[in-house]
This record gives sequence, C-alpha cells and structure tokens, in this order.
Amino acid sequence: MKRTNRSVIPGFGLTTGITLAILGVVVLIPLASLVVFTAQMSFDEIIETITRDRVLSSFRVSFTTAFIASFINAVMGIILAWVLVKYTFPCKRLIDGMIELPFALPTAVAGIALTALTADTGLVGGFFAKFGIKIAFTQIGITVALVFIGIPFVVRAVQPVLEKLDPAYEEAAGVLGASRSRIFWKVIFPEIVPAALTGFGLAFGRCLGEYGSVVFIAGNKPFETEIAPLIIMSELQEYDYASATTIALVMLVASFVTLFLVNLIQTRNTKILKGGA
Amino acid sequence: MYKETTSSKIVKWSLIGISIAFVVLMLLLPLITVIAEAFKQGFDIYAKAVSDNYTTKAIWLTLEATLLAVIINTVFGLSAAWSLTKFQFKGKKILTTLIDLPVTVSPIIAGLIFLLTFGRQSPIYPLLQDWDIKIVFAVPGIVLATIFVTFPFISRELIPVLEARGNDEEEAAALMGAKGWTIFRKITFPHIKWAFLYGVVLCAARAMGEFGAVSVISGHLRGKTNTLPLHVEILFNEFQYVPAFAVSSILVMLAIVILIARSVIEYRGRKKI
Amino acid sequence: MYVELKNINKHFGNFKASDNVSFGIEKGKLIGLLGPSGSGKTTILRMIAGLENPDSGEIIIDGKVINNVPASKRGIGFVFQSYALFRYMTVFENIAFGLRVLKKSENEIKERVAELVKLIGLEGLENRYPSQLSGGQRQRVAFARALAPNPQLLLLDEPFAAIDAKVRQELRHWLKEMIAKLGVTSIFVTHDQDEAIEVADEIIITNKGRIDQIGKPLDVYSKPKTAFVASFFGQPSIFKDYNKFHSFDTIPNVDQAIVRPEFVKVTKKNEVQKFKNSAEEGVVTDVAFRGSGIEITVLVNGETLTARRSFDEPSISVGEKVDVFIYRLFVTVGNYAFLLENKSIREPIVVI
Repeated sequence: MKRTNRSVIPGFGLTTGITLAILGVVVLIPLASLVVFTAQMSFDEIIETITRDRVLSSFRVSFTTAFIASFINAVMGIILAWVLVKYTFPCKRLIDGMIELPFALPTAVAGIALTALTADTGLVGGFFAKFGIKIAFTQIGITVALVFIGIPFVVRAVQPVLEKLDPAYEEAAGVLGASRSRIFWKVIFPEIVPAALTGFGLAFGRCLGEYGSVVFIAGNKPFETEIAPLIIMSELQEYDYASATTIALVMLVASFVTLFLVNLIQTRNTKILKGGA
Repeated sequence: MYKETTSSKIVKWSLIGISIAFVVLMLLLPLITVIAEAFKQGFDIYAKAVSDNYTTKAIWLTLEATLLAVIINTVFGLSAAWSLTKFQFKGKKILTTLIDLPVTVSPIIAGLIFLLTFGRQSPIYPLLQDWDIKIVFAVPGIVLATIFVTFPFISRELIPVLEARGNDEEEAAALMGAKGWTIFRKITFPHIKWAFLYGVVLCAARAMGEFGAVSVISGHLRGKTNTLPLHVEILFNEFQYVPAFAVSSILVMLAIVILIARSVIEYRGRKKI
Repeated sequence: MYVELKNINKHFGNFKASDNVSFGIEKGKLIGLLGPSGSGKTTILRMIAGLENPDSGEIIIDGKVINNVPASKRGIGFVFQSYALFRYMTVFENIAFGLRVLKKSENEIKERVAELVKLIGLEGLENRYPSQLSGGQRQRVAFARALAPNPQLLLLDEPFAAIDAKVRQELRHWLKEMIAKLGVTSIFVTHDQDEAIEVADEIIITNKGRIDQIGKPLDVYSKPKTAFVASFFGQPSIFKDYNKFHSFDTIPNVDQAIVRPEFVKVTKKNEVQKFKNSAEEGVVTDVAFRGSGIEITVLVNGETLTARRSFDEPSISVGEKVDVFIYRLFVTVGNYAFLLENKSIREPIVVI
C-alpha cells in the first residue's frame, strides 16, 4: 500500500502495518481458508448439499422468520424512535437505555430467558397456551427471539434522523394547512423510510446469522424449527466440514447481498439529501 | 410547535403505551425471568450454583477472552483509526470494508472459518502439531473467535470522530516537531477518549456474551474451554434450570453494568463536546 | 532572496494545483498570496511549510534547498486557517507546546510564553481553553504559538477568514504592526483583495495554478499585467465592444474591456463637468447606498457600468438621464491587459 501523498503526521508505516497484520491474521487468513476449502469441492457436491430437503427447509425457516422479525422491528422501531424523540414521559431515559439491552445481554441468556417465558409453563407461554397458541419450540418462538435481537437496529437508525428533522419543516407544513396525519405520511415518513430500511437490512442480516438466542427456543425439529446456522452446527458436530462450509457460503452470500443493498440505500439517500445527481 | 388537540393526545399516549408495553414484554420481562428463575429455590442453591467450581473456571475464561479481545482490538482500533484518518492512500476503501466485514458474518460461520484455518483438515495443522500449538478446541481459538466477532467495535467508534475533526491540530503539532507518540497522547487522545471508552464497553459486552462462534471452536470441554455463555448452555441442556439461570444472572448483572456505563459515557462524551 | 520557489509543479489527481510556479521573497517582507479559491495559493503555502510535496521544482529557504527537509526541521511557524489550536490545552500550554518539543527548560518556557502573551495582549487569560476565547483572541494565540520557537519564516493560511468583519479590520492592523515589529519574513494567503492590499508589502497573484503578477499593492492594482489581474480587482464592469465608447484608441484583437467604478464619472445633466462634450448619455438603472458612498448603475450604449458618487453630490434617481464619462479602461488581448486613456483628457478643452 502506497501513500499518494507524504504527510507530515508521523506513524503511517507503523499504524498501517499493525492494522494490516492484525486484519490479516484475524480476518483475511480465516476467510481465505473458507475460500480455499470451497475451491476443493466440486460444483455438483455443492449443489447436492444445498438442495437437500432438510437444508432447503432450514433456509426457508431462517429467511421467513428473519424477515418477519425484521418487519416487526421496522414497525416497532419507528414507533419507539418516534416516541423517544417527540414525546416526554416518565421513565423515558430508562426506556431509551433499555433499547440497547440486546447488544449487552449475551444471546444465550436471552435465549433461555425467552424460552422459560414462552414455554407452556412460562408466564407468557401459559397465557397463550389457553388459546391453543404455542410459542416456544415453534417458528413463532424463533421469530420472538429474533425480534428481541433486532430491536436496537431500527430504533438507532431512525432516532438520529428524527432528531435532526427540522421542526420548522413540520411547522411549515402545518401552516400550509396540512392535517397531522397528512404531515406525518407526506412529510416525515418519507424522511425516515431510508433510515428504517437501513435498520431493517441490518436487523435482517443479524437475524439470518443469529444462533445463540434461537437455539434454545427453537426446539430444533428438522423441517420445522431448524434454522440454517443450526444445520451448520450439527454438520460440524458430525465432522462433515464440506457440507457445513457449503451452507455457510450460501448464508455468507445472503448477508453480503443484504449489506450491499443497505449500502445502496444509504448512498442513494445521502445523494438525495446532498442534492447530487 | 402547535397546540395539542384531543386526538393528538390520544395518539401520543397510545403510542407511548405501545412502546412501553413492547419494551416491558420483550426486554424487561426476560431480565426479570432470569433473576426470578435463579432464586426460585432460595439463595443457598443460587450461591452454590454461582460458586461452583466449573462456574468460577468459566468466569475466569470469559474474563480472559474478553480482556484479550479488548486489548487486541484496542491496539487494532487505534492503529486503524490513525492510519485511515491521518493519511491518504490507495486501497483505503477496501481496507475500511474489510474491517467492517466480521460483524456481517454469522457467529457460527466465524467459528467455522477458524476451524477450517487451524483445524484437523487445515494445511497448517501438521505444522501446529509439530510445534505443539493447540488453537482449535482450546483457549487460543476462543480468543481468536472473540476478537473476530468484536473486530471493528473500537475502530468504528474512533474513525467518525477523527474524521469529523480533521487533522489540523496534529499537523500543527507535527510542524513544531512533535513525535508521533506525543501527538497521539497529548493532542489526539483527549478528543477520542469518550468514543474510545464507548468502543471498549461495546467490545467487552459482545466479547463476554459471544456464544455461536465460541461454541463452534471450543469443543465444549467443561472446566477447560467453557466460557460463561457455554456453561449456561450445558446446564440448560442438562435440565439444570436453576444453576443455568443463576449463572445467567451473573451475565445479566454484567449487562446492566455495561448499559449503565454506556449511558454515562455517552452523556459525558456529549457534554464534553 | 530569502525564500525562493523554482519551477514548482504539483498535481492532485488530474487537478494541476501549481503550474511552473517561480518567485522569490526578500527577508523581512510581508507577502500576500492573493487569488480566488482553487487558484493554488494555499498549495504553495503548504509546500513551503512542508505539508505537501511538489512533484518537481525546488524550494529554497535561506540559500538551502529544503525539498527533502522534513516540515518540522524547516524552522517555520504556521498559522492555520481554523487556527488548529489544541482544544484540550490552555492558552499557556498551546504557546508552550513548540518549546516543550524543543526540550527547553521550564524557566525558559515560562519566560517566553509570558513574553508572547504580553505581546498578543492576552495577559490573565493564560489558563483559559481555546473554547473560552473569542475568534480574535484565538487568532492571536495561534499567532503566538507559531512564533514561540522563534521561526525565521511565518506562514499564515487565510488568517482572518474565520473572524467577523469588525474585528477583522482591527486584527489586520495589529498583525501588520506585529510582523513589522518582529521583522519576521511572513507569507499569508487570502482571497480578499482589500485584505491583501491593506496588509501586504508585496502581493503575489495566483490564478489557475500559475503566478500572474508580483508587485507592490498599488502597482498590482493600477498596472495589471494580465487579463485576470485586471478583472480581479475592484468591481469591474466587463464588456466586449469598447468601440461603442468614443475617444479611445483602437487596437486590434481586443477580447474584453474592463471598467472599474473609479474610472467612470456620472454627472447630472445640469452639473458642470470638465469633459462634458465627450460624455455619453446613459440611463440610471439602480442607485444603492454603500458605506462609503452611493453606487450608481447606468446603462450606456447598451452596456451596464457601475460608478460611485459621494453623499455630498446632488442626488440622482433611478430612470434619470445622466452624462457618463469614462476616464480610462483596461482592454485585454489574449492573456495580456493594457490601459487605455480617454483621448479627450489629453486634448485641449473646447469651450463653445
């Protein structure tokens, strides 16, 4: 790597060297070994692995639950961000701090807590069981765990946008005689949509790969509540590294595509805001 | 702001109601469940579970892995932030993308790639054997996986702060002949102090709670390669619910400490600017 | 020559920031590098300081080529546009920083800082942080900090840009005095022509990476050599065909004519004017009050010209027909500028 212009600030060689060395050992070499390992497999082998019924159904479970959970988070995230920015009420700071809990609480703890809560014997599970609705050990349970994991993403993406939204903007619309709901849908909502989509994408990416909180609540019944990361795990326990790697590759591609789309939304959005073409 | 009408009050309070209900149901209730389940059979059972030999070993391993991850990511984060914000060079964009990459990788896959790199089927496995280095199913593997999942946590807090501030002060100091370390210590660090602490807290939070990646690489050797979250899993799967929740309660308390630390740092950091 | 640049070239990607730049500066002079933004003036300053490196050419200070001397060893004081004061250090520590780097003794540092604080008139504020100072005070601290290690050359990048108009005026005088008192060779960058004319001993005008003209402020102002310099100063009215106005010599291949407000005399029909006979009729399109007088815009022969009148003269209103006389104008041929005098000034006045 060559500097295009010498700077007076010292430390280029040292800091770039350390950065590249650690990046190499921790990220690049391990990721490269994934590529090397995949390259040794034949195309037919790969196709055979990912078209197994059990694998396909795990993809389906993973994608649908991640999508539904992220969607719930998008809606709740907008509401939460709105409430936290626009209103004052008791315990607001506490609620604001709680939002970050899924980042701070180990996923395994969240997993067993949600399982205990939503099992038929649990507080919430018991309530729903009266109506014949089972939560734990079903896809609903997986979705609940993923909602928990994804809460901070949309809230933290939308919050700064709402904070920066100029109140004069709403007032101007108000002066023009627009009704409140009209102001929200026509003026504010379009402003927060890109941020909400970004949060949705990040949450979706995280949910796709989530393991710790899901593994307990899912029950892990093949074809029903088995998610893709779990299949990878069980293949590994059987020392079938080839299958595990193949499935991992599909998941990696999915999360990179998600990330790419998120970036696309962000660049487009900054372009619109900055007025560029 | 214009006056509140009755209908807007209804909207306001119903939205606040929905929000509070959601937070209580999804976030608070699980926390309470952990504590309630942990003390279900009294304090003695709880104390016994927490002070259990395997639990203490898991606590130490978790602390060790967390500490190492924080240290390595600190060195990395500070270096990367300095390199990426103080200099212009080719490949900067790619470097930034690569640094962010680990958070998009599923923890399971993070564990898997270390397994492939250092495990039995890896080309360098014989070499490691010759030198008697154990990485997979051992502590070094756990530490590596933990570093991987928390990789950009510190650098990504520092880079925006440094970028927003520009390099004027550093250039001025360098022009007067100050050495790199002096510039960093006296000029740069005071600016990034809070962002850095914030990153350390986030990094520590994720490191101590990491489950998937560590689960893959650890081999679940009780008392040897068990971190707290893995210990929770084993206990839970053995239907030892009370001990599982007792051990969890330690992690819950750590999580609460982290949340409070995070709020304080965020508040102090904002005030300083 | 104390500072000398020889055939300096510098690119940023495809952008040519310095195009064969050469000039010299005498010891003890205060030089203004003047030009529009993007003209390469800041790049020149940063190259002298060592913050950028030229692609080719030589930079010489005090007889030594310093291209390969690191910035910190060049003995240069640099005042940044935004001052770049160390925000987490007090005024005292800011000024002392360069001395500490030189490992001066604590006593020496105290003495020197006290001396400088006195010089910039901020006694009693040593323990304040930059955020607790006004813009003008910050600028003075930046100045003192740059001077603390006794540099032989002081470079200032847009030193007044971040200060509001009223304080700016005051600071300009202060800085000029201060530099004259200390006798340190100084170069400052500015895009503000008034500032350059007022402060500098000599002005270097940059345009598109090249040096267009070097000279004393008055010379550069009144004897522009290039088309760019002619149009840069004042508040010029620019048009193509100057032959619409009579009594000027005709020279071939003229691209543009440039008329500054002070070249134009506007008089009411009933006012006495020496060159009334050669004046042409115009219609006033705008009358505006400026701090220093009245600015009048007139339409003459299809061209819009700007002129000034003092408050004492009889007032003129919009739509009024007036006499307009042009004393002189600049014409440009290619890159060059020439001054044309109105011939009727030299001709004997015919009184009917």
